[in-house]
Amino acid sequence: MNGRKSFGGGGGGRGRGGQGGQQQGKDGQQRRPMFRRRKVCKFCADKIDDINYKDTRLLMPFVPERAKILPRRISGTCAMHQRKLRTAIMRARQLALIPYTAE
Amino acid sequence: MNRKYELVYVVSPDATDEQVNELHTQVEGIAQRMGGTIDKTENWGRRRLAYEIGRHKEGTYVLEVIDGSGELMKEIDRRLKVTDLVIRHLVVRVDEVQSVIDRTRTKRSDVSRRRRVARGLPPDRQPGEGQRGDPDDDRDDRFDLGEDMR
Repeated sequence: MNGRKSFGGGGGGRGRGGQGGQQQGKDGQQRRPMFRRRKVCKFCADKIDDINYKDTRLLMPFVPERAKILPRRISGTCAMHQRKLRTAIMRARQLALIPYTAE
Repeated sequence: MNRKYELVYVVSPDATDEQVNELHTQVEGIAQRMGGTIDKTENWGRRRLAYEIGRHKEGTYVLEVIDGSGELMKEIDRRLKVTDLVIRHLVVRVDEVQSVIDRTRTKRSDVSRRRRVARGLPPDRQPGEGQRGDPDDDRDDRFDLGEDMR
């Protein structure tokens, strides 16, 4: 369901592999759909319960160059953890542990 | 009723170590006066700020875990606001969040134990069982291989 369509829209830039396969899939090779790495919530997979604002090492991958919060559709984070991540990032920003914007 | 709070404040880089210590004693003083205790103090030392605050590019971070009432934290908050040496501070209540974290942790281990017992295994993971090495790494390899092969 969230396979081909959502990828075609959102997968444009952010370092997701296997872009070459897209055309092939359209041309009729329905037997073998493009291989896609399944997105999993990092926090569910690694069993991280505590998303803490003090842990910049954990948060930094979710605030790429422009320092915006990485959306769920790209990171694959589940709704619950994205909410917690958001509060953690906002707190860390207040304390200047994480930037609001890239200068 | 006493609750647990975390207080982080960023002290201006111009401040001397003594001034930082003095701030800590001030906070401690307020806490004691209003029936609270400081459970833990951590000085993270001087760190680079992610963005400039005022004209500062660095700051000394201090974390205090405080057990106390809401009024106490309000007072500390007020005092830190008027202290010029403190360029940023944040108070967060942690007891509720912590209890939620503990609950999910125990629940998860309980569930996994129950499932293991149901499968006829000992409740706890034995050494050398399951995926070898770094499980994350392992999975990565498999995916990359799949991509190459097609």
